[in-house]
Amino acid sequence: MNAALNIPYRMGAALLLIADQTGGIAIMAGQVVRRLVPPRIDRYELFRNAYRMGVQSVPIIAATAGFTGALMVIQGAPIVERYNARNIIGWSAMFTTFRELGPLLIALMFNGRVGANNTAELGTMVVTEQIDGLRALAIDPITYLVVPRYLSIAIMMTALVIIGDFVAILGAMGMAWGILDVWPRQFYYSAMPMLQTWDFSVGVIKGFFYGNMIALTSCYFGLSTRGGAPGVGRSVNASVVAAASGVFIVDYLSTFILH
Amino acid sequence: MIELFDVHKHFKEPVLRGVSLSVPAKGIYALIGPGAAGKSILFKIIAGLVTPERGSVRVNGEEVVGRREREMMDLRRGIGMLFQNYALFDLSVAENIAFPLRRLFDFSEDEIEARVAERLERVALPGFQDRNPASCSGGQKKRIGVARATIARAPIVLYDEPTAGLDPVTSQKIYNLIREEQRAQESTVMVISSDVNGVLSIADRVGMLHKGRLIFDGTVDEARVCPTPEVNQFVHGLTEGPL
Repeated sequence: MNAALNIPYRMGAALLLIADQTGGIAIMAGQVVRRLVPPRIDRYELFRNAYRMGVQSVPIIAATAGFTGALMVIQGAPIVERYNARNIIGWSAMFTTFRELGPLLIALMFNGRVGANNTAELGTMVVTEQIDGLRALAIDPITYLVVPRYLSIAIMMTALVIIGDFVAILGAMGMAWGILDVWPRQFYYSAMPMLQTWDFSVGVIKGFFYGNMIALTSCYFGLSTRGGAPGVGRSVNASVVAAASGVFIVDYLSTFILH
Repeated sequence: MIELFDVHKHFKEPVLRGVSLSVPAKGIYALIGPGAAGKSILFKIIAGLVTPERGSVRVNGEEVVGRREREMMDLRRGIGMLFQNYALFDLSVAENIAFPLRRLFDFSEDEIEARVAERLERVALPGFQDRNPASCSGGQKKRIGVARATIARAPIVLYDEPTAGLDPVTSQKIYNLIREEQRAQESTVMVISSDVNGVLSIADRVGMLHKGRLIFDGTVDEARVCPTPEVNQFVHGLTEGPL
């Protein structure tokens, strides 16, 4: 192909691919909603997935949140020291963590751990004919596999943001005490008067939207896997990139709306 | 009874080109043919897992093509299937075998347990209930698959490459098991296989697919003396010929 035409050709192909994948994710969202009204949920699968996706993610999410809170204090420490503004360190660290960085970093970590694993599992089930096996046994794969995973990821992501917020407070408190000599009590009272419930709620709402994005993207890429074991690798890669991109887009839009 | 008429399927290239065949009730029909002949796709079309572009598929007198997924679910309750890649779930052996009973029927747990134990005895894997399929050998996984495919006593059972990757002794044991199961349950069985000697040892009728076309359909004895070069070469395992 002519080199001059190659660039628009590739751009067009990429746009078509994105449109195809976005449409596929939207269709999957519709299929999930159809099975939720009225609810047709495999409760055993729901609790099993909630445990392994949510409960087992608590340590890594807690570590992420703890470090995020601590980092906010480290970043703010030079300014706080220069202007002797110790009475705002709690608020500045918690405001940015609650509204933005906490949910965002937790979502990216959750996407890496749970989203990638979910895609790999579903992709492996496709290439080993387990999905066909379910259909052959007259079992709808969306009801049995996707709906419990979707609910588990969306609900547990929201819960993990709430847990992460509290761990982030502890991380920030510890760091403020360590490097700025701000006692936890002082840190608490520097944050609470200025923080609003809405600051906390914004992060939780964002967490729910991120969870939806990760759930639908990881399930879509898993179930659209083709081409054996290498195909599973490609799907996992595409899923992680697409879900992370989606999280940033959702973040951008929700920040505008929830500001 | 399974009947196909003028079934066509394309992916990037034509996979099935006007396949018509009839699988008689309460017998074993072997579908043989070289790799990429379209055997597994035909198997999935019969079960309604893949939709053909053209043609008609009737299972026990009911048309499969054009059915909605929900309507297909009812039809699939009457079909047991063994997949080439086992398609065993990440559950214990007992849970895998009991899966159709728990999901599709209303049996008590005691009855399910008894049936699973009976199936495991039947496939010579007694005491395997709590094992995970991942820890089983290829032959054992196939037997677990046979147990799952037959536990609901479906009137039609489809086996896709039941002996792929297995040694000759284990292969023949699997074929014998399929034959015994068919006789015990008086089911209509279709076996897709590239292992000609093994599958012909149990089949009542045989068909051969080549490049998406059914080039032979007849009895096992007829297949052994068929003058069509491709059939002759494949059935006798000759290296010289058109394949």
